[in-house]
Amino acid sequence: MRRILLLLLSLAACSKGPQADLPYISQARSLAAEWALVNEQASAGKLTQTYVETMRKELRQELDTSGKALSQPHSAYAREIDALLKQPGDASPADLREHARALKTIEDSLESA
Amino acid sequence: MNPLELTLGIMTAVGGFVDISQLVFSAQAGSRFGFALIAAFAISTIGIIVFGEMCGRVAAVARQPVFSLMRHRLGLKLGLFTLAVSLASTLITCAAEIGGLGMILNHLTGAPYLPMCIASTLLLMASMWILPFKWIERTYGLLGLFMIVFVVALVAIHPPWAKIAGGFVPQVPHGLSTKELLSYSYFIVAIFSAVMFPYEAYFYSSGGIEEEWGPKDLLTNRVTSVVGMGLGSLLSIAILALGALLFAPALVAPEVPGSAALETAIPLGKAGLLFALLGMFFAVAGAAVETCMANAYSISQFFGWEWGRHKKPWEAPRFTVAWIAAMLLALLIVMTGVQVMNLVDYAVVSSIVVLPLSYLPLMLLANDKSYMGQYANKWLAKGLGWLFFVIVTVTAIAAVPLYLLTSGGAA
Repeated sequence: MRRILLLLLSLAACSKGPQADLPYISQARSLAAEWALVNEQASAGKLTQTYVETMRKELRQELDTSGKALSQPHSAYAREIDALLKQPGDASPADLREHARALKTIEDSLESA
Repeated sequence: MNPLELTLGIMTAVGGFVDISQLVFSAQAGSRFGFALIAAFAISTIGIIVFGEMCGRVAAVARQPVFSLMRHRLGLKLGLFTLAVSLASTLITCAAEIGGLGMILNHLTGAPYLPMCIASTLLLMASMWILPFKWIERTYGLLGLFMIVFVVALVAIHPPWAKIAGGFVPQVPHGLSTKELLSYSYFIVAIFSAVMFPYEAYFYSSGGIEEEWGPKDLLTNRVTSVVGMGLGSLLSIAILALGALLFAPALVAPEVPGSAALETAIPLGKAGLLFALLGMFFAVAGAAVETCMANAYSISQFFGWEWGRHKKPWEAPRFTVAWIAAMLLALLIVMTGVQVMNLVDYAVVSSIVVLPLSYLPLMLLANDKSYMGQYANKWLAKGLGWLFFVIVTVTAIAAVPLYLLTSGGAA
């Protein structure tokens, strides 16, 4: 059991590059899409102001964490995440979805590689 | 059987069933794999019904709580190991619940997260100190019923019922890559763990003894286990189905616990959002109380100390110190800044590892006619008991490798 665990841990430690960044790219894509959903529902008057503000803050913090965890900080997906972080809290859902779709395209191409 | 007692028992079980891990995994499971993981919820719910009913029966007939059995059946060394792992996993779970409370209060009031974690801990401790056992259970269980808003939201969006029903059939979705298949497997393990958390058994069996259950209460125990856990599972399935229908098309795989409340806001607006946040707050608060008390029960029963909330705090001093220490330690973990989502992952992985060791002694005693007499397990309970023991053992073995391979289901 210990040998298997050590093998798994060393495999996990060895994997670097875009493939290792895949979980963070997925996370960032989802966070961007969720941010868009929050803003869309907020403009439809379905959310309280407190919820909207706290969710935006939390989503941004999570995005920041995902961005900092990337092993390839100069990659296309890192630039997408940077661009997302520069968006204002009340950015339009369409803009945010655009970033989410761009990240999804990168995610799909890495998954199929 | 007192009908009021029974109704309250069922409602309490429903309200206390959904905790922070289930909120997170249900919504994520739906958004990532559609309705396919409904079967994992349904099967694990049968598992918790089987073990919950057994726990209650053993408490009512043999008057033996889980950790007293564990020491006698597993021996001192293995018993101590199980106690240590179980204390650690339940403490992490308690910390995840406190972190979850801080986040929910943050969404409700806008006040900062960490002060809200401290405020909720103090509120929980005050309620545990002041309220008698039955009212601790009832308060959080009944107020957790606000969670029914998730079922209302599901009905309101006119979902494809036939497709949801199809989710009850165990399946592997078509076209998954190897990585996705591993993530799918991790979700199955996580759902089993979140539904069958061992602390639920420790709390339920100790609660039965606190309430002085006897053989006359066996029907109440059975109905409470079946209907209460079943309805609780319905809430989780509603959250999953809403995730599949509202989040998946929007490319959202909810990353924060507060996201689940969005599922009710989309069809029901601000009222739905507030009901969901309140329901989540009380359900998670109930789970925090249960985890904290479960740790105090475990350690007191293992070492043979005086225990019970039916006693005055100074009549069971070590038990009292144990639950206060458990709550404060959990708060301390949250104050280190560790993320709630990480705590949720650690909680489900560590809990599933300890699950087989918690349930084996209980099942052996429930099978034993010399202790249980006419109330010993019959063929159905024995068969289901062994079947679920095998299932939880396999999931326990798979949990850590799957967690590492999938980065906690993210890969």
